Amino acid sequence: MENAVSVSQLVKNFVLKKRAGMRWTESEVKAVDGITLSIEKGQSVAFIGPNGAGKSTTIKMLTGILHPTSGEANVLGCVPWKERTRLAKRIGVVFGQRSQLWYHLPPRDTFELLSKIYEIKQDVFKSRRDMLIERFQLSEFLDTPVRKLSLGQRMRAEVACSLLHGPEVIFLDEPTIGLDVIARQELRDLISEWNRENGVTVFLTSHDAGDIQHVARRVIVINHGRVVLDDRVSRVRRQYLREKVLSVKYADTPESISLDGVKTLKESGHAFKFEVDTLAVPIEKVMSEIMRIGSVVDITIEDPPLEEVIAHIYSAPPSEFGEDAADDDDADENESKS
Amino acid sequence: MSKYFYIALTSIRSRLAYLGELGSKTIFLFVVLYIFLCLWKVTYAETNQSSLGGLSLKQMLWYLVVTESIIMSLPTIATLVDQDVRTGALAMQLVRPMSYPLNMLAQTSGERVLSFALNFLVGSIIALTFVGPLDFNISGIAMFLLLIPLSFALDFTIYFLIGLAAFWLEDTTGLTLIYSRMTMILGGMLIPLELFPDGWQQILRVLPFSAIVYGPARVFVTGDLQVFLSVLIQQIVAILVFAFVIRIVYNLALRRVFSHGG
Repeated sequence: MENAVSVSQLVKNFVLKKRAGMRWTESEVKAVDGITLSIEKGQSVAFIGPNGAGKSTTIKMLTGILHPTSGEANVLGCVPWKERTRLAKRIGVVFGQRSQLWYHLPPRDTFELLSKIYEIKQDVFKSRRDMLIERFQLSEFLDTPVRKLSLGQRMRAEVACSLLHGPEVIFLDEPTIGLDVIARQELRDLISEWNRENGVTVFLTSHDAGDIQHVARRVIVINHGRVVLDDRVSRVRRQYLREKVLSVKYADTPESISLDGVKTLKESGHAFKFEVDTLAVPIEKVMSEIMRIGSVVDITIEDPPLEEVIAHIYSAPPSEFGEDAADDDDADENESKS
Repeated sequence: MSKYFYIALTSIRSRLAYLGELGSKTIFLFVVLYIFLCLWKVTYAETNQSSLGGLSLKQMLWYLVVTESIIMSLPTIATLVDQDVRTGALAMQLVRPMSYPLNMLAQTSGERVLSFALNFLVGSIIALTFVGPLDFNISGIAMFLLLIPLSFALDFTIYFLIGLAAFWLEDTTGLTLIYSRMTMILGGMLIPLELFPDGWQQILRVLPFSAIVYGPARVFVTGDLQVFLSVLIQQIVAILVFAFVIRIVYNLALRRVFSHGG
């Protein structure tokens, strides 16, 4: 399958000036330190990492805003920083912390203006706009000045704006930042729906584990300007979620459990919360042990939230992650399709 | 080109959303014009002349209407650019298939044309009330209408450059302040160039300030073809020079993008 984005050994250094007394010293900061990755057309990728990891810098290079120090990138056949304007017509960009809507005007006017800026044919523009209005449910506030919209409404309009010219790749830099749970959910659904139905390649950065889980199928983690993990979201969960949490409720006081790899997290009355290390002990064995020590009334098994997985990846040194993780990605994909 | 025209139109529409601010400016315009009418009246009477620097009292007030309207219609070009640079909002503009400088030109010009038209309308009503209509001639108005957009464009190039300085400077408000005061004083906002000492006049006529303020106003009240031609050339040359400088500085600046504002 054709690649929408391919990046090879991309590096961006910034010169940082510091003042010590009267003297300025210059030091070089490596914001992006040799990133290599490729994204197939139609894929949805979450690009995550802690603050200052180089996410935004990478997005800015891929959208042509920023010149790299060295390395190559190709987005839809264009070298972004050399063919910025040409590429601009084929990609959509949403920066969650910046607005592209005119503050004093209703979203309808911004749509109209964007149709001129992107030189969209009027009939194409109208049909696409109407479709976006319907899908993103914009009609109720389409004629209300943007300054009077809620953040959730505004972000829906922002994302719709960036889809107006029918981009083939859409870059979303923290699109759900500041949104409440429902607005966040709505936006995620819209993005992944658009990805599925229109085949748009989605490149998303976020600090929200839910965004990654619901929108992306593949996750690329970067830290200190390097790719530390590149794998399918489902596999990341499986591979790094060795711990399971079991909540068990007994009819009366059970015997105490003594198994390697099982830790009692909480105990109140007849209710227990165990953490199980599935590598140290098979879950099956734990289950039978739990059943043996007492009469079980209720039991739930949970994965720790993805957030914890991410925190674990962020804090771990890069060497902990095998290079082969990305290699059997294809096999896994085929497996899940069949 | 039509996209920039449409940006200008959208900017006018957006400006119409907060007309109140424009309204309060016109009160200020009224006060300024009234004070200067009184001052000039005294000056004409004291010097016992019917014409100063080639302008009658009536022409002088109309001259002020034009210069004040030009100065007061100034949009916050440098601040907008400065903010775009400093906050990193420039990124949002660069991911569009358009030129950032032309976009800013269109956006601020739309705003300025509307603001100028309103100021000029109010100023004209004040002038009509106090000194009556000017002896207009059609060619004078036509020349004026040609000079005004060029005046705005020239003013834009300089403010845009000041805004771009945000890539290198901590704060550009100082530069803005200096430049705007120089436009007011050296551009002949309150006093036509003819009333400056001879030596000064020579210099001021070459500087870009007079091409922004004095030139269009003088042509409007006198319809002088000679002044028109020299101001027109002055404007075109200055715009070309500054546009060239912008090109160089902007390209340099783009390489520095986002060491600011991440």
